[in-house]
Amino acid sequence: MDMSSKGKMSRRDLMKAAIFSIGGLIGASIGLPAIGYIVGPALKQAAEVWIRLGTVSKVKLDDPTLFKTIVETQTGWINTQEEISAYVLTTDGKDFAALSNVCTHLGCRVRWIAEEGKFFCPCHDGVFAKDGTVISGPPPRPLDRFQTKVEDGILFIKRG
Amino acid sequence: MLEKFSNWLDERFQWRQVWEAIFLRKIPHVNWGYTLGSATLFVAVLQAVTGILLTLYYVPTPDHAYDSIVYITTQLPAGWFIRGLHHWGASAMIVLVVLHLLRVFFYGAYKYPREATWITGVLLLLVVIGFGFTGYLLPWDQKAYWATTVGTRIAGVAPVIGNWILRIARGGDDLSAVSLARFFGTHIWVLPATLATLILVHLYLVIRIGISAVPGRSEP
Repeated sequence: MDMSSKGKMSRRDLMKAAIFSIGGLIGASIGLPAIGYIVGPALKQAAEVWIRLGTVSKVKLDDPTLFKTIVETQTGWINTQEEISAYVLTTDGKDFAALSNVCTHLGCRVRWIAEEGKFFCPCHDGVFAKDGTVISGPPPRPLDRFQTKVEDGILFIKRG
Repeated sequence: MLEKFSNWLDERFQWRQVWEAIFLRKIPHVNWGYTLGSATLFVAVLQAVTGILLTLYYVPTPDHAYDSIVYITTQLPAGWFIRGLHHWGASAMIVLVVLHLLRVFFYGAYKYPREATWITGVLLLLVVIGFGFTGYLLPWDQKAYWATTVGTRIAGVAPVIGNWILRIARGGDDLSAVSLARFFGTHIWVLPATLATLILVHLYLVIRIGISAVPGRSEP
C-alpha cells in the first residue's frame, strides 16, 4: 500500500483497500458455503447395516457360492435398488467368509470359474484364488471381505 | 516479486490499458443513483454463480424437479443459502433493473448519443423478465405450475398469433415434461447467452461513449 510521507493513507488507497476487503468478504461468504455445497454429498458415509444374504444351507462346502441380494438405498433424491453380491466360502460349514465380487483393481465384477478354481476379472485379467488372494494380473490387494454373522441359519453381511 | 510478475503479464497482455479504460476512466460528478447499473451487474453475477451451483443438483423433469429442490434445500450443506440467494436475487434483479431504468429515464440519459445504450438496456430488461418467468416454473410445485399455466395463457390472449405463442411456450397444449425442459433450457442457456452478449454491448457503450452528467437546473 502506498503511504504518504506523513504516514497517512491516501483517499484512493483507502477506497482501494475497502473495495478489495469488502469484495473479498462477499466472495468468501459465497465461496466457502459453495465448497460445502459441492463436496457435501461426497462426505456422507453410508450407514452400517447388516444385509441378509440367505440361508447358510445353500453354501456349498469348499466352493465359493454366489449370493445376490437387493438393498434399498437413497441416493440424492432418488430411492434406488442396488444389487449386492458376495461369494460365500466355507471350509467346515461353521465359519463363513464373504468375499466381495468387486475387483480390487478398478471395480469390475469378478466371476468364479469352478473348472479353473479361480476368480477371474474380465476387464484386465485379474485372477484371484479361492480365498481371494491375488494370483496374477493388476489387482493391488486381495478381494475385500465382508464381516459376517449367522443367526438362525441365516447369513448376514455387514456393509459400510 | 508481485510487481515484477504483474509487469511481466502486462507486457504480454497489455491489460493495464484495459483496466484503466474500465476503472480509471473520467466520469462527471454523479450521485448514488448512478450505482444502480453496477448493482444490477453485481446481482446478475451473483445469479449466474448461484444458478450454476443449483444446476449441479437440480433435475428438470416432472419426476424429480421438486424432489431435487427439496434435496438442495434440506439435505445439502448451505443448499438453503445458495437457493435462497438465487430466489431473492431474482426479485432484486427486477427491482434494481427498474430503478436503473427510472434513473436513466428521469435524467434524460437515453438521449443522443446514448440511444443504443438505452435500447440494449430495454432488451436487457426483457431478458431479465424472461429469466424471472422461466425460472418461476422450475421448482415444479403448485405455485410454479399454476403461475406458468396462467402466464402462458396470458400470452395466448394475443390476437391472431396468441395460440401459437402459447403452444410454442408450452411445447404443446398443456404444461408438461416438455414445457419444464424447454423452460429450463431457456433459463440456463438461451437467456444467459443473450444476457451476456447484451451486457457486453451495453457496457462497451457505457465506457466508450461515457455517462451523462446529472442534468443541471440552468440547462435549457
